[in-house]
Amino acid sequence: MVTQRVDHKWGMVVDLDRCTGCQACVVACQSENNLPINTKDLFLQRRAYEWIRIERYWEGEFPDVKARFIPILCQHCENAPCEPVCPVFATYHNDEGLNVQIYNRCVGTRYCANNCPYQVRFFNYWEPVWPERLRNHLNPDVTVRSRGIMEKCSFCVQRIRRAEVTVERRERSNLDYATMKKRNFLPACVSACPTNALNFADQADVSGPVKEYFDDVNEHPHGEAHDRKTRGYRLLEEMGTKPNVIYLKKVDPFPLRKGVSHGS
Amino acid sequence: MAANSHSESHYGPEMWVFPVASQVTREVSERTSAIPMAFGIGLGVSGLLLGLGIIGFVIRAMSDGFGAHGPWGYYAAIFSFIFMVTGAAPLAASIFRVTKSHWRRPLTRVSELFSLIGIFNILLFIPLMFVLPAFRNPNLVPLAENELDLRRTIWFEVPIGATAPQWLDLLGIACLALCALVLLWLSAVPDMAQARLQATGFRRRFYGVLAGHWHGTKSQWINQKAGLALLGAFYFMLLVFMQFTISSDYAQSLIPGWKDSIFPVIYTLTGFQSSLGLMLVILFVLRRWGGYKGYIGISLFWSASKILLGLTLLWVYHMFSFGITYWYGRLEVEQNILKYLLFQSYGWLFLANLIFSFFLPFLTLLWNPVRRSDWGPALAGAFVLIGAFLFSWRIFVGAFNAGDVYNIGLEHVPAFAGPDLWDVLIVLGGLGGAVFIYLLGSRLIPTMCAWEIKEGAMYQHMGTFMRGRYLVLAKPE
Amino acid sequence: MQEGRVLPAREINRDLLRSILTTPNWYWVTVAIMAIIVLGAMSAAGMMINKGMGLTGLNRPVMWGFFIVNFVFWIGISHAGVMLSAILRLSKAEWRRPATRAAEVLTVFSLMTAVMMPLIHTGRPWRLVYWVYTLPFVPYDFARGIWPNVRSPLVWDPSAIFTYLTSSILFVMVALIPDMAVLRDRTTGIRHQAYALMAMGWQGTPRQWKLQIIAGILLSALILPVFVSVHSIVSWDFGMAVSVKSWHSTIFAPYLVVGAVHSGVSAVVFVMILLRWIYGWENYIRHEHIDALGRLLIVVATGWFYFFVMEVIFGFYGREADEIAVRNFQFTQPPWNLWFIFFTGLTYFLPVSLWLFKWTRRNLWIMSIACISVNIGMWLERFLIIVPGLAQKQMFTFDWYTYAPSAVEITIIGGTFAMVTLLMLLFSKVLPLIPLYDIKEGDILKTEIKIGRATVPATFRED
Repeated sequence: MVTQRVDHKWGMVVDLDRCTGCQACVVACQSENNLPINTKDLFLQRRAYEWIRIERYWEGEFPDVKARFIPILCQHCENAPCEPVCPVFATYHNDEGLNVQIYNRCVGTRYCANNCPYQVRFFNYWEPVWPERLRNHLNPDVTVRSRGIMEKCSFCVQRIRRAEVTVERRERSNLDYATMKKRNFLPACVSACPTNALNFADQADVSGPVKEYFDDVNEHPHGEAHDRKTRGYRLLEEMGTKPNVIYLKKVDPFPLRKGVSHGS
Repeated sequence: MAANSHSESHYGPEMWVFPVASQVTREVSERTSAIPMAFGIGLGVSGLLLGLGIIGFVIRAMSDGFGAHGPWGYYAAIFSFIFMVTGAAPLAASIFRVTKSHWRRPLTRVSELFSLIGIFNILLFIPLMFVLPAFRNPNLVPLAENELDLRRTIWFEVPIGATAPQWLDLLGIACLALCALVLLWLSAVPDMAQARLQATGFRRRFYGVLAGHWHGTKSQWINQKAGLALLGAFYFMLLVFMQFTISSDYAQSLIPGWKDSIFPVIYTLTGFQSSLGLMLVILFVLRRWGGYKGYIGISLFWSASKILLGLTLLWVYHMFSFGITYWYGRLEVEQNILKYLLFQSYGWLFLANLIFSFFLPFLTLLWNPVRRSDWGPALAGAFVLIGAFLFSWRIFVGAFNAGDVYNIGLEHVPAFAGPDLWDVLIVLGGLGGAVFIYLLGSRLIPTMCAWEIKEGAMYQHMGTFMRGRYLVLAKPE
Repeated sequence: MQEGRVLPAREINRDLLRSILTTPNWYWVTVAIMAIIVLGAMSAAGMMINKGMGLTGLNRPVMWGFFIVNFVFWIGISHAGVMLSAILRLSKAEWRRPATRAAEVLTVFSLMTAVMMPLIHTGRPWRLVYWVYTLPFVPYDFARGIWPNVRSPLVWDPSAIFTYLTSSILFVMVALIPDMAVLRDRTTGIRHQAYALMAMGWQGTPRQWKLQIIAGILLSALILPVFVSVHSIVSWDFGMAVSVKSWHSTIFAPYLVVGAVHSGVSAVVFVMILLRWIYGWENYIRHEHIDALGRLLIVVATGWFYFFVMEVIFGFYGREADEIAVRNFQFTQPPWNLWFIFFTGLTYFLPVSLWLFKWTRRNLWIMSIACISVNIGMWLERFLIIVPGLAQKQMFTFDWYTYAPSAVEITIIGGTFAMVTLLMLLFSKVLPLIPLYDIKEGDILKTEIKIGRATVPATFRED
């Protein structure tokens, strides 16, 4: 039945110049992926679930101060430090470039969270609960996780799978960029972003929004970053984790005057 | 063990030797003043090599100057090798004296004689002071992302001037040499005082100046032993510190991004291992051809080789824990350093180093019959000595040719830097010089520590237990 | 002159078997108190498994806390047994004799306690089976083709620890055989049968002694690599983690091994002083033994300190902003800096200055204080390695946080200490904590040498 299909390698490009820090992506992710409600308690315990989060840093000192936003989600590293350390293979790399988490394998050693430089892994310290009226809002495509396991951004793999299944099984057509594009395979955060700061596509798709940046960043590795033609860079590039998420530098037409130090 | 007794002691007569005290004084001083043919040849050859080395050094200095550190890699390697081995050697006497190991007694003077090479170490080090690159990056591009304004050193940003670590290193090496010489003197005073009675001419005056005050009173003995213990402890600490600074200043900090907390430990271990190896070789030579067969029992090789085996295992363990931490991390800079020093550029050298520092001595020392011989431990000693030389070569030549020291990390893997003729001469000269000094010293100061051997003969004898003859060891408090 | 007199074998048997053949009143009281504490800790753990790991103080950056600290601590204590028994046996140190059994038994019990910690620490301990497929008694899941991830240090860990546990139990058992035979001959009824079973027909024939000695020496030599590998692998749980800057250090393996020996030997010294006090074994655990162990500890402590200094220096050496931040957190921010001062003082400066003089080494009170201080300090060391590194991981300052243990964690930690004490007490009820035959052997081999007017203690040696 499956005659010919594209070997996908997914990638995301985050344009920091467009990000306004509105947190729409956070909310979208929360409802798409069956994340429990982040109560005040959970935040104060530092156990809130934010598969994608907006980190806010202050540049400069008051009153010359600017807020900088950076959305951080699982970087789906090609060379992920979290993968080799899991004793039970609960996290591994699939052939589409996704770093996936197998919930029912996880025993909860939390080693992967320690070894994730981006701190995007979340542990279910408590059994997740929803208010009664929200129970019917749970997404049937996504597992509801119990206490004691690790979870993280999956690039909304359920959406990708649904699109693939629709193309292959329902329409019985070949899986390629064009057919996929007709289906909504975008992660929830990307769909929700009002400023198109988040872009998601196959890294090899010429018509897609990300190929240009991935090619550029791959062509000029960390050591030759100054030769890059685009604004692309990877987070913590010197670690050699090779994330499948690329960030585009912010272009600030009105930079703070020199000598003002970076504060956090 | 009690029930395990046999009617005969199961060790050969050579295992433990108990020389007669009255013979020791005479024989040791006879053998110290004798100059056999082979000794003369050895002295001549090593002197010749030293001469060649000086020629090589002069040519290297004239052609390359002291501006860049690259061409001095082989010089640094041979300095490191000699410093590593001869610096650690005098320690053996102190350590085994503290642990009250009776088998050490024939070894002490052999080990302490290495103190004389301390002077040679200072001389060898002086040129290296001028080749070390400056702390502050002279051609810093402002706001460059992968350049450091101050290169990484163990001295951090301590305001001690641009060339200060070299001076501190020199001071440390000089202190070390001085301390070792005092140790040698303290240990040799009783022997020299006794030898003065037999010696004539120059030797008599020499011993008179150095040991004229010695009468062997109780307080003199107590002071001498306390001095040996305290100085030994101080020497140990200073040595470990100096091996840390030398290995960091002249190796680790020259490879950009090499942040490796175990390296000084490996360096120190290599020093201990190879110096023990060298001493076993010397003891073997003394036993076979030096006329000291009645002094150096097999028990020394048997015990020392266990320690050598332990050090060999420790060496490979430390190398492994360095390797696996770097390899597993998969950080770019660490991968490059692994490729540079272990797998690609210096790969064959590392393999040889591993074989000589671990596999060969390990496989040799694994067997009880081999460890209960004199040749086996000496062979293993020769292996680890070669291993230590390869180690110095790999690390120091590698460090001196690793490119821009102000880079934030090693971005690509530099090539192997081979020696030219002058490098070969320098290396041979360094080895020759060290041998030359040691040989000369062995004719002035006896290579057997007569007082310790006499003391040992009092503390150990064969006693009867049940139906067997066994060694009885006294452990004085 | 020899310290202590040579005792007749009958007296040795009577003294050393007193703990087994008689039961003082305090014994059951202490056992009951310890059992209650252990039960309390077990209920705390049960509650935590029931409600979730939320009951701990762990949070997002600090995913590992008190449990892992305690795990490393008990693994460390377990390094005393092999250090004292195997290394000192191979190096023929006579003063090891009264310490070996207590050290080996402490090894076994602290290891058992240690392996519980990661299980309590995981979020879903009932899923353990996926993790410990490496164990010999758990079948591989061939049917589904699911294997443990051998790349993970957490798989190396159980392999090394269970090998160590097996071999140290074997080590204790081999050393126990002659003593079991003595007990077999002095008990009646079911106890007699049990000892007879464990003595495996020991009659004390020359051949049996020879085999027992050979087995002891072989096990000593074979257990050494396991001994080194266990704590190395535990250290690699941290050293392999590239993302935690202050963990990813090449020196971690030897550093933690030496630290383990440091805390383990100190713990054994303290246990020996306790045994001497509660069972009145003044003739067996003598001042000279404590003195010799004190001198050994100076060397171990100084070696440890050297590794510690290297680790700190090379922490700063890289001058990388994120690592400097962690180090600043450790060294300058209250309360961590206070803990840090306590840790260095308690681990090195206080005990080593107490061990420096002969009269202090021979004062049991001072030795107890020094040894307890080392263990408090080493516990803090593991805490200061594990938590600050996680609390300020990487340069994403937005995610930095700190950690404070919860009551549940503290209860469980307290329970582990009670459990080791309890197990030791129970052991002392059934088997001798000082090897009878080893003491007798040492006494037989003792002799003296006359040098001039002095008499020097000496021993017979086989080589």
